Amino acid sequence: MLSRRAFLTSSLAALSIPTWASALPIEANGELFISAFSKSKTAHYIGAFGSNGQLRWSMPLAERAHAPVVHPTHSVVGAVARRPGFYIDFFNPLSGEAIKRITPLSDHHFYGHAVFSNDGLQLITQENHYPTGQGKIVIRRWPDGEVLNEYSSGGIGPHESVLMDDDILVIANGGLRTHPDNDREIMNLDTMAPNVTYLSLKDGTLKNQVRHTNTLHKLSIRHLDVNSSGVVALGFQYQGELWEDVPLVALSSLHSNQLDYLDMPEHVRARFKQYCGSVCFDKSGETLAISTPRGGLVAYWDVPSKTFLGVDNCRDVCGLVATIRKHEFVLTSGTGKQLISQPRQHQTTQINQLAEVHWDNHLRRIDLDI
Amino acid sequence: MLCLKKAFATSLTILAGTSVFADQWDTTLEQIQSQYIVPKYQQFSTSANQLADATHALCAAPSKASLSAAQMAFSQNINDWQQVQWLNFGPVTYFMRYYAYEYWPDKKGVTQRQLRNLSSDPSMMTAPKFWTSASIAVRGMTAIESLLFHGDFNTIQRKSDCEVLEAISRHHAKTTEDVLSQWQQSKATDWIFPEEGASVTPEHLVLEQLVQQWLEHMSVVKDAKLETPIGYKDRPNLKLAEFYRSEASLAAIITNLKAYRTLYHVGQPSLYDTAIAEQPELAKALEAALADSLKLALQLPQDYFTGDYSQDERVALAKPLVRAISNSQTQLTNLVTALGFQIGFNSRDGD
Repeated sequence: MLSRRAFLTSSLAALSIPTWASALPIEANGELFISAFSKSKTAHYIGAFGSNGQLRWSMPLAERAHAPVVHPTHSVVGAVARRPGFYIDFFNPLSGEAIKRITPLSDHHFYGHAVFSNDGLQLITQENHYPTGQGKIVIRRWPDGEVLNEYSSGGIGPHESVLMDDDILVIANGGLRTHPDNDREIMNLDTMAPNVTYLSLKDGTLKNQVRHTNTLHKLSIRHLDVNSSGVVALGFQYQGELWEDVPLVALSSLHSNQLDYLDMPEHVRARFKQYCGSVCFDKSGETLAISTPRGGLVAYWDVPSKTFLGVDNCRDVCGLVATIRKHEFVLTSGTGKQLISQPRQHQTTQINQLAEVHWDNHLRRIDLDI
Repeated sequence: MLCLKKAFATSLTILAGTSVFADQWDTTLEQIQSQYIVPKYQQFSTSANQLADATHALCAAPSKASLSAAQMAFSQNINDWQQVQWLNFGPVTYFMRYYAYEYWPDKKGVTQRQLRNLSSDPSMMTAPKFWTSASIAVRGMTAIESLLFHGDFNTIQRKSDCEVLEAISRHHAKTTEDVLSQWQQSKATDWIFPEEGASVTPEHLVLEQLVQQWLEHMSVVKDAKLETPIGYKDRPNLKLAEFYRSEASLAAIITNLKAYRTLYHVGQPSLYDTAIAEQPELAKALEAALADSLKLALQLPQDYFTGDYSQDERVALAKPLVRAISNSQTQLTNLVTALGFQIGFNSRDGD
């Protein structure tokens, strides 16, 4: 009988897709950064740049994408369409070859994010069954795309999810019910109840679920990351008034029934304009970075002490990813900038700025260690 | 954060590309500050002081005449506010001043509740640091309007109501003096956050933020001031109209739209002057869109928000203006983008 790994290897071999380790060019210095970007209202791409900031590869997309999804072992990158998304296009970023398009279940749409299982054998997506508003986690076999399981996400509006380990998927159920006919209209503002859900991928059972108190029910839990200690960081987007004093960042864990809101100076919190973009731990898991394109800054915290470290100012910044070095991040902005930040050294360096490129919301990294 | 200047050739190319306009933007920004922001805040501050004086006179000698005088001073003050309301940038962004000026829309009646509490013991307002911790709901014009126009309050017969009114009016005047003073003593470029590898001038960055504020304010006028209270897409609730108790909702919109035109033309070269030189078609399109919006707002009946109209009638009357303001947003976006400003890619995404 063909093992799962053997099946994957043979399937990807049939598609002539090499592993990252065998295929990444030496000039990439061990790292390749992937992001969607646009050059105009109608010209959308996904592309990869090296640690020197030079664009190494790009492919046009039919519509604006939101976040890339990177295969853990083989040279496959997917561009997940922006909400309400109706496709994920997969490419080999080293050859430029289009590999596959995956579409959502019938009467569903994607939220702009997806993730591969750690072994690369499954693709996990968050989807909205828009006739009912029910949030779904859909597990497909990779690379053939056959649906293996579909689970309730435990809420409405599952925007992003991350793997805590091989079994537990952590889901940011944003709480916003929307319909693709008018996708920016929130249908349940008065009743929305966002939560973070810890879901077993084996059988779809809820291992934990945490939400705000009722007074904060408009505090949409939208983006998240998890470190190797199992600490989950959450970034919020508040749907209430701009002047309201609400927390915007929190920590969570599998075995806690409360959110641990992180403090920041009020003048910084006000600059967030109630909106967090990307959420990202550094390689050590001890430094947390949260971007806010509306505030034009990235804020940093020391995770063990839960203390605020400072900010990097950058207009329209949103893309954020850890490098292979501790306490170091790459940032991308809608103005085309690529920056390296070492917040504990209070050091920020622009590595490049690509004219006419607007880097989209989320940035991902491939490294040769995989 | 400490920045290491390490811009690559691409950045230098961009810098060179934008420097053509650098001097123009320097002058334009300096004149927007000196000929628009400072004088308009001067007006706003003057009328805020007159309002404070009028409420003091009301409390010293309560009467219908002194109440009427205070109400008139209030109307002048909110009209002056409407000329600078679009600018949520600089000194007004500190200490929640912008949101304290106007706690609107107050969907839950927070202002009334807190005012009643203050009126039960106005002496609490004299406590040290009261204003640094006071709710924004009772620090500005929304609270003053309630005290002057809401039936729950009676500043002629209830001394404590008037004491609260006087204290808030004086605080409001002091805040406005402080904002004015900070604008007079600083440059607009002092109020931005420097970033690593800036490829445009600080003046360009400030103008970019002003344009973003302008665009956001157009959304406020269209959505919050017009569509929401009349039930353009949902149920109507006229109490959500801005300054509806003082019946200033339509006047506020008209003043906003006039302010846009003034802003477009202030200085030499103005935004319009530069635009007409560099992008004549887009410059004219924006000019026409702004004029059209104002003309349509002026054509609305004076009792548009207060008269006996059905929801359908109000929506039908509003439609041309809603379309015109949307068109103004589009034209402004097109123009400033063509002039090299970034009005937000991720920041306007909302996901």
